[in-house]
Amino acid sequence: MTGKYEGGAFMQAVRSFALSAIVFSAAYAALAIAPTELKQGDIQRIFYFHVPSGMNALLAFTVACGASIYFLIKRNVKADWLAASCMEVGVAFGSVVLITGPIWGKPVWGVYWKWDARLTSTFVLLVLGLCYLLLRGLIEDPERRSVVSAVFCIFAFLDAPLVYFSNRIFRTLHPKPVILGDSDSGLAPPIARVFLYCFIVLAILMIALIWERYRLEELRHEVAELRAESDSA
Amino acid sequence: MQNLNSLIAAYAAAWLIFFGYHYTVARRLSQLREEVEKLKQSIGKRSR
Amino acid sequence: MNAPRAALAILGKELRAEFRSFELLTSTLVFVLIVVFVFSFAFDPSAAESRRFGPGLLWIALLFAGSLMLQPCFSRERVNDTLGGLRLAPIAPVAILAGKILANFLFLTLVEAALLPIFGVLYNIPLVPVAGQLALIMLMGTVGVATIGTVFSAIASHARMRELLLPLLLLPALAPVLLASTELTAGILADPPELRTAWLVIVGAFDIMFLTATWLFGEYLLEE
Repeated sequence: MTGKYEGGAFMQAVRSFALSAIVFSAAYAALAIAPTELKQGDIQRIFYFHVPSGMNALLAFTVACGASIYFLIKRNVKADWLAASCMEVGVAFGSVVLITGPIWGKPVWGVYWKWDARLTSTFVLLVLGLCYLLLRGLIEDPERRSVVSAVFCIFAFLDAPLVYFSNRIFRTLHPKPVILGDSDSGLAPPIARVFLYCFIVLAILMIALIWERYRLEELRHEVAELRAESDSA
Repeated sequence: MQNLNSLIAAYAAAWLIFFGYHYTVARRLSQLREEVEKLKQSIGKRSR
Repeated sequence: MNAPRAALAILGKELRAEFRSFELLTSTLVFVLIVVFVFSFAFDPSAAESRRFGPGLLWIALLFAGSLMLQPCFSRERVNDTLGGLRLAPIAPVAILAGKILANFLFLTLVEAALLPIFGVLYNIPLVPVAGQLALIMLMGTVGVATIGTVFSAIASHARMRELLLPLLLLPALAPVLLASTELTAGILADPPELRTAWLVIVGAFDIMFLTATWLFGEYLLEE
């Protein structure tokens, strides 16, 4: 298990540097290359980070749910590690969405927060993600922790569409779906290119973070095994 | 640029979360690596 | 023993345990009454405001009551590891969950039946003319609360700080039920009364989805 993905502090620094470089390039594209949006002005540039973060967070939660189901069926502990990693990174990305959103909302809507469909459902989903992490922290036995948190993950994920639709019926003032929405929706080509680039960069960032977080889980397991070995020796 | 403050605040917040999270994971990783090394050494000594 | 009969046997056991002392039912009922009182102290609503806020208050009170009442459902079994005994019985693990869900559904319904008349009188909301529709809404909402509440009670029973954890897990997950049931109740109390069917679909979908998920994944929670 050791050996792969080692390389110590130097490789770690290289990876951090590479990640920062692509994230800054995305920020440069969003702030300098993309044209200024006509109706909202420069504040719209928040969207290049806001929307891709949300999409990636949703992706992470989906993978976590899939991994949880796989874990329950196959009992491969690696799937549980993957689920935990995806959940934690998904919560990080989700909090980016929920922090940048109100900063955009204040100048455009006039208020930081409205209990609109997507805000509310994102909020509930993030709280459920936090509950998942909390739950994992509160169960001692590793095997039980895996099983119980996998079941909770599935239930929380099933809840997400219901939360969304119930809020959708109730109230919405969000911009209509711009991507994959009505026929008159869609992005102007230069905006779309920058948007796509930002999405890809954030996806790479997310995968890198999940990978590191997964490695953490692996090392924890290794430490526990080595402890057991040194105790029995 | 209008609303420049909001724009700066939003980007700062996003980066703070991304890199702050990256940093905490990296730190936890290096701590665990050290612990693995220590444990391996102590096991190696005893078995010799 | 087939699964439905086993579930009924578990239901019988839960009912006998509760009806010996009525501990859970009485304390939950007192709790919801306190919530209702506290609300009127804090907001001092007029008759019109009662109609506007009443349904929401009713469901918030019931959700809080549920998160307290469902708490002992599994942690009580841990004291003498009676769950271990149940697990050894030659019955499907899902039957244990089903019996407990049925029992909790029944307890919650009893609390609602006792609360509703008092609520109607205190907030001056005439509930009798819409009793049939109200019963339908209450039952559908309660199925959702009982299902997910029982499962999450099993989840929380494995963790430290389980008393605190259950409301944390349960309340956000019940957000769709709270929203939909409140809207439905407000609808039938409005003037003119209407049954907002879109919300009925949401609650129905919630019930069916989580009953199915419990049937598929619930048994993993009972493993040792």
